[in-house]
Amino acid sequence: MQKAVDLFYRFLELLMILLLSGMSIMVFGNVILRYAFNSGLTVSDELSRYFFVWLTFIGAVVGFRDYAHMGVETVVVRFGRNGRLICMALSNILIIACSGIFFWGTWKQLPINTSMSAPVTGLSMGWVYGIGLFTGGGCVIIALERLLRVLTGRITEEEIGAFAGEHTSLEHLAERG
Amino acid sequence: EFTERTIRVSNGINADHPVGNGIEAMQKCLDDKSGGKLKLSTFWGGALGGDLQATQALRSGVQEAVVTSSSPLVGIEPALGVFDLPFLFSNSEEAYKVLDGKFGDMIDEKLAAVGLINLAYWENGFRNLSNSVRPVNKWEDLEGMKVRVMQNNVFLDTFQNLGANATPMAFGEVFSALETKTIDAQENPYVTIDTSKFFEVQKYVTQTNHAYTPFLFLFSKAIFDTYSPEEQAALKDCAVVGRDVERQVIGDLNQKSLEKIKEAGLEVNVLSPEEQARIREKSMVVYDKHKAEIGPDVVEGIMAELAEIRK
Amino acid sequence: MTLLVFIASLLGAMAIGVPVAFALVFCGVILMWFMGMYNSQIIAQNMIIGADTFTLLAIPFFVLAGELMNAGGLSKRIIQFAIACVGHIRGGLGIVAIMAAIIMASISGSAAADTAALAAILIPMMAKAGYNVPRSAGLIASGGIIAPVIPPSMAFIVFGVAANVSITQLFMAGIVPGILMGLSLIAAWLIVVRKDNVQPLPKAPARERLAATGRAAWALGMPVIILGGIKAGIMTPTEAAVVAAAYALFVGVVIYRELKITDLPHVVLQAAKTTSVIMFLVCAALVSAWLITAANIPNEIVGYIEPLIDRPVLLMFVIMLLVLLVGTALDLTPTILILTPVLMPIIKQAGIDPIYFGVMFIMNCCIGLITPPVGVVLNVVSGVGRVPLGKVVTGILPFLLAQVAVLMLLVLFPDIVIVPARWLH
Ligand code: NA
Ligand code: NA
Repeated sequence: MQKAVDLFYRFLELLMILLLSGMSIMVFGNVILRYAFNSGLTVSDELSRYFFVWLTFIGAVVGFRDYAHMGVETVVVRFGRNGRLICMALSNILIIACSGIFFWGTWKQLPINTSMSAPVTGLSMGWVYGIGLFTGGGCVIIALERLLRVLTGRITEEEIGAFAGEHTSLEHLAERG
Repeated sequence: EFTERTIRVSNGINADHPVGNGIEAMQKCLDDKSGGKLKLSTFWGGALGGDLQATQALRSGVQEAVVTSSSPLVGIEPALGVFDLPFLFSNSEEAYKVLDGKFGDMIDEKLAAVGLINLAYWENGFRNLSNSVRPVNKWEDLEGMKVRVMQNNVFLDTFQNLGANATPMAFGEVFSALETKTIDAQENPYVTIDTSKFFEVQKYVTQTNHAYTPFLFLFSKAIFDTYSPEEQAALKDCAVVGRDVERQVIGDLNQKSLEKIKEAGLEVNVLSPEEQARIREKSMVVYDKHKAEIGPDVVEGIMAELAEIRK
Repeated sequence: MTLLVFIASLLGAMAIGVPVAFALVFCGVILMWFMGMYNSQIIAQNMIIGADTFTLLAIPFFVLAGELMNAGGLSKRIIQFAIACVGHIRGGLGIVAIMAAIIMASISGSAAADTAALAAILIPMMAKAGYNVPRSAGLIASGGIIAPVIPPSMAFIVFGVAANVSITQLFMAGIVPGILMGLSLIAAWLIVVRKDNVQPLPKAPARERLAATGRAAWALGMPVIILGGIKAGIMTPTEAAVVAAAYALFVGVVIYRELKITDLPHVVLQAAKTTSVIMFLVCAALVSAWLITAANIPNEIVGYIEPLIDRPVLLMFVIMLLVLLVGTALDLTPTILILTPVLMPIIKQAGIDPIYFGVMFIMNCCIGLITPPVGVVLNVVSGVGRVPLGKVVTGILPFLLAQVAVLMLLVLFPDIVIVPARWLH
C-alpha cells in the first residue's frame, strides 16, 4: 500500500517536472518567435497558463504531504508534546473543512466552467478549473489520514516536529523568502 | 414589494468613466421607485476580479451584477462574438436600433439560457486605431504594422486579414509597449486613448469605427429570480434610464477626447466613404470564417436587420 | 467589526499551526458566514482563477533561473569576482559580501537562496580571516534580503498582481533603494569592524583579477539581459524571466560545465515545488482579498485613520511601523498577500504614489526576514553558516538598525525613490 502511494507521488512529481518544462519551452519559444520571426503562437500563451494552474494545484497537494506549506509556528513550538498533538488535531480538522469546501465549490462550479470554452484553444474550462477537485479531495484525504493517526496515537515524532516547523530544510526555507 | 437589498455591481473600468454617471442616474431612479431600498454598491477597477470572473460569479449566484464588454464573454455565449465582427455598425444610431430592438432581445434570451439577465445595452463606443508609423487612409496602409489587439480570435483575424501583425497583449502593458515601439499601434475608443494616455506615445489616429462593442449590464439570473416582480421591473427600467445617461455622456466625452488628441498634435483622419466600403468588403472573409462558431442564424439575423434599417 | 472577525479568524487559525494558505481560506469562510453570504463557490472560483494569470508565470521562471544560477556555478563566480575586486582592502570580505549580494540580487529574486549561497562560501572565509563570526553572519543575512528589492523580484510580482500596478515600474523603482540598503550595510560594517583584529586577504595580482572577471563575465551578463531587456521594452517581466532561466541553463551547462543534463529534472522539480507552494498561497490570498473587498474592510479602516489621510508622511510612518511589527512574525509573501488588499485602497485615498509605496512595503517586508522570532533568512544563515540562531540575532543588530534607518529616511524623503524611478522608466 505504502509503495503504491509513494509511486503515485513519484508520478505527480514527474507530472510537475513536465508541466514546468512545458511552460518554459512554450513561453521561451514564443519569445524567440516574436523577436526572431516577428510572429507568435497565441496557443502557447493560453496553454502555458493552464499548465501553470495544474502545476500550482498538483504541487499544492505534494507540498501539503511534505509539510512544505508555510506556517507560523511561533505559538505551537512553545507547547509540549500534548499541546502540539491537540493543535495538530484541531489544525487538521480545520484543513479538512476548508479543503472540503474548496472541493464542493469546485464541484458546484463545474457545469458553469464546462460550458465555457477557452478563447484560443477552445478547451473546455472544466478541465482547467476542475483541478480543484483533485486538490480539495487530495488535501482532505491527507489531513483525514493524519487526524486518524493523531487520534489513535500512531503519529511519528518526526511528523510532530515537522508540524511545529522544527526540521525545516533549506529547500523549504527557499520558498519562504 | 421592495426588500432592503445591496446589489454589488463590479466593473473593470474606473469610477470616472461615463458608466459612473450611468450608475448614478440608475441609483436615483431606483431610489424613486423603491423608496431607497435597492442600493447599488459599485466596485471599480476590477476590485472584485476581472469581467470574465465576475460574470462566472453571476452565473453561480455569488455576485449580483457586472457591467462588462461583450468580447470577453464569447467563451460563455458564442453568439456575443457577433459584436466583435469588423465594421458591423456604421454609426451609433444603427447600433442603438439593433441593440434596443428585436435582435437585442434575441441575444438577451440566449444570455438568460446561460444564467445571465441582461438589463440593458450600455455603451463602450466605437473603436478607432492609433499608430506611430503613418496615417492610415486605406487598408493597405496597415501592411506590416504591429497592432495590439485583445485576446480574441475575431479581432486577431480582422487585423491579420488586413495585413497587420496582430499581437495580443494585456491592457496594462500597452502603454510602455507603444512607448518603446515594441508595438506600433493599438485600437480602442477615443475615451480610452485619452484616459490611458496612449496619445502621448502615438502620432496618428484614424477614425476607423471598426468595431462597436457594447457594454452589457448583466444580472445574476439565480439572484434575479428570487426578486419580486416589482423589483425586477424597477431594475430593468432604471438600467434603461442609466443607459440613456451613459450613452449621452460617453458621446460627449468621445468628442472632448478627440479634441484633446488633436490639440496634442496628433494627425487625425477619417476613412473616406469609399475606403470604408473597401475595407468592409475586404473584411467579409472574417464574417465567413466565424459565422459557424457565432451561429449562422445570429449573423444572418443581424445582417437582415441592418439591411432593413439601411433601406 | 468585520475587521475584527477577519483578524481574529486568521490569527487564530495560524496560531494553532494551520499553514497560512489554509488559514486564509478559513478566514474567508468565516467572513462569508459573518456577512451572511456563505457560498462554497466563492472559495473555488477565486482560488483557481488566481493561478490563471500570465503575469504570475514570471514566478516559476525566476525561481528556476535562481535554482539554475546556484546549481550552475554562477553564484560562486560572482563571489570570486567580488573577492578579486575588493577582498584585499580593510574589512574587505564584508564589502565583498555586500557587493556579491547586490549583483546576485540583480539575478535572483529570492533572499533565502542568495543568503545560502553567500553564507556557504563567505562565512568560513571570514572566520578564517579573524572576523567576528556572528557579526559576519548578521551582515550576510542583511545583505541577502536585498534580493527582493533589486529586480528581478518575486515579491514585486506578487505585490504588482495583488495591487494591480505595473511590475516593470516596480522593478525599476527598486534599484536605487536596493543599492542604498547595500551602502548603509557597508557603512555600518566599516564602523563596527574597526575593533576586529583581522587579516586582510593579499591583494591579487592584476592578471588574476582580470581572470576572475573573465570567469564571472558570463554570470554578470545576466542582470544586463534581465534589466536591459525589461528597460528597453524588448521583453515583459515574464519573458525576461524565461530568458534568464534559459541563459542560466546555457551558462551552467555549456560554459561553466557544472550542471549536468541529468541534474536538470531535480532542479526543475525543486523550482516546481517552490513555485506551487508560493502560488497556492497567492491563490488562497485572493479568496480572502475578494471577501475583504466585498466586505468593504478598507473603508472601515479608513474610518479609523481618517485624520492621517491628509498627512501622507505620518501615514506612511504608521504603516511602516505596522508592517515592521507584522514582519517580526510573518514571512515575506504572506505579509504582502494579507496586507496589500487592506492597505492599497488607503494608499490610493491618501494620494501616495503606489509604486513608491510598493517599494517601501517590500523593503519593510524584507527586513521582516531578519527580525526574530520568525526570520527565514536568520534560519538560513544559521543553518548554512553553522552559527547558533541566538548569536546571529545579536550579530545582526547594527545592520538591522542601518536598514531601518534607510527605511525611515525614505519615509521622510520619498523623492529619493520616486525621482530615480521616473528617470529609469
Ligand atoms: Na532580485
Ligand atoms: Na521576522
